[in-house]
Amino acid sequence: MKTTYLLAGLLLATFTLSSCHTLEEKISPAGILIAGTAVEDRIDMSYNFFLNHYDDVVYLAAEDDYTFLVGADSHVTTDPGRMDEMLAIGLRDDDLFYAHLGDIADTKARYYITLDSLLQEGKKRYVAAHYREIDPFHYVSDRNPDENPLTLTYDEIVFPFFPVVGNHDITRNGWALWSSIFHSSFYEIDVVVFLKDGDIAFDHLIFLDSASGTLGQTQIKLIEEGVLNGKYLTGGYRNTFVFSHTNIFRPQFNEFASTFTREETFYLLDKFEEWNVSCVFCGHVHMWDERNYNGVHYLTLEAMSERNNPDPGDYLVRIHVGADGSLSWTPVHMNYTPKR
Amino acid sequence: MRRYLSTLLLLLLFLPSRPCAYAQVYSGERKFDGIHRNEVSANLAGGFNVVSGAFFGEAGTYTHHFTDRWSLSAGQQVQFLKWLCSADVMGTYRLPLGRTNLYFDGRLVNNFYTQWDQYEILINASAFWETSHFDLRLGMSYIHYYKYKIKEEYQWFTDAGYTEPPTITFGVGLNLLPRTSSWNLGLFLRNYDQFYYENWNINWGIRFHATLPWNEMKLFGEFNIRPAGSLSQLATRYETSLKMGIKYVW
Repeated sequence: MKTTYLLAGLLLATFTLSSCHTLEEKISPAGILIAGTAVEDRIDMSYNFFLNHYDDVVYLAAEDDYTFLVGADSHVTTDPGRMDEMLAIGLRDDDLFYAHLGDIADTKARYYITLDSLLQEGKKRYVAAHYREIDPFHYVSDRNPDENPLTLTYDEIVFPFFPVVGNHDITRNGWALWSSIFHSSFYEIDVVVFLKDGDIAFDHLIFLDSASGTLGQTQIKLIEEGVLNGKYLTGGYRNTFVFSHTNIFRPQFNEFASTFTREETFYLLDKFEEWNVSCVFCGHVHMWDERNYNGVHYLTLEAMSERNNPDPGDYLVRIHVGADGSLSWTPVHMNYTPKR
Repeated sequence: MRRYLSTLLLLLLFLPSRPCAYAQVYSGERKFDGIHRNEVSANLAGGFNVVSGAFFGEAGTYTHHFTDRWSLSAGQQVQFLKWLCSADVMGTYRLPLGRTNLYFDGRLVNNFYTQWDQYEILINASAFWETSHFDLRLGMSYIHYYKYKIKEEYQWFTDAGYTEPPTITFGVGLNLLPRTSSWNLGLFLRNYDQFYYENWNINWGIRFHATLPWNEMKLFGEFNIRPAGSLSQLATRYETSLKMGIKYVW
């Protein structure tokens, strides 16, 4: 009889938890871990920001060929050495932009203060390297080959560091911290390439919010409405690159992080084909994987975190986009070792 | 009003009957009851999925017990609006262990997600231990999927197909009453369902069954919550569904 009462209690608890789960979208099956802000709320906020700041990043301008640097899972805590190294490498090798695949910092306010300071310092170095001061308050880009480049104030200059949000970024109050720096987890950017022969080509960057293991209903609805089909160009992109925290393909048997569910995996594989994506970049599993699926290339990156990978190694990837639109990638070595 | 509702619920739960044997869906003991060699189950299902929105469909399974130890099942499902068609076959060997039973299941499932032109082939080998109040499944899945409409320049099964690394299958179930009862309520938590095997996304919920006044028939059902990202510790609503069906043995 006692067993029956015990089991009845368990059933009641399950009903209670399942109701919470359905309504709040915040409770894990264990009913313990709290995700903070659910994906639908994050997309609402991100899309609202996207609409209100539609023209903040007009475009990234490149001449002929260009490179960009991708890193994943830095899990910044008190030691931001690897993040600092990533910014320094990109500046040294003249990469057009940085992309970060999420889990940028573990969710404590002081870690985000450290990260924000690092990015502010990174912007100062970037502006010093790539902008010309025309008066005490205005700058002109040295990179933009446009005959009449924009004159910008320091605040208007966009530091080209583009992250997606990861599951560790949204635990507890993570979203509040993450969004206070990066604002949007769901956005797109165009790269305008001025070719030597006078032609112009367009490449497309798409950043998805997959931190919850699903894009969620709102994000899928917006995608289906064509929100990510291009700001200025609908179709006709030379290359499209997609950045997502959650990975599509599992690198190994003994990899225990959850990927997308069945239907969502197939939806995304189909959508990437529809967008004519050249390469999808993923993080999350802290393991390297490279493969093709029906014409789309998928790279899953190792964690650059000094805690997960304390030894120096090839944790970043540099993508080379040729003047003819051809693509190749090279691993980028990181030397920083954590303080012991 | 409350009294009428509780009476109706009790009537549903305590329908007079004797237990009988059933296999693939939750409905008591899986083993051959010694009388009825054939079983057929049919259920309706409906729910909401983040990707496809609302969906509904049906599923059916036929099981034949060749002996007290060996049985074979074949099933199918169609889910409208999700546009999913599935078929499976499963062979089972039962090994009695004292008052409990250990089942060895070998299963082949084929899914066709028509709106995305994706075929999925699943092979699962697992052991299912069934006790009076508790059950446990452990096994391994082979999962391969491929695009039905591939781009002309890509090769079949190389650029258009993917085989997942071997995937562990796990599931636990808990019953309120002994398994031989004519009705029961239970909890389950697992990384698979009747026609899919996930890697680390678990689903969980509540299941019930009750024998109908005609002894050869049972009512069964399941309320299933399928979160995304569950083993990344941030379970988020992905799919909620309800399944209700009838089983008949002869």
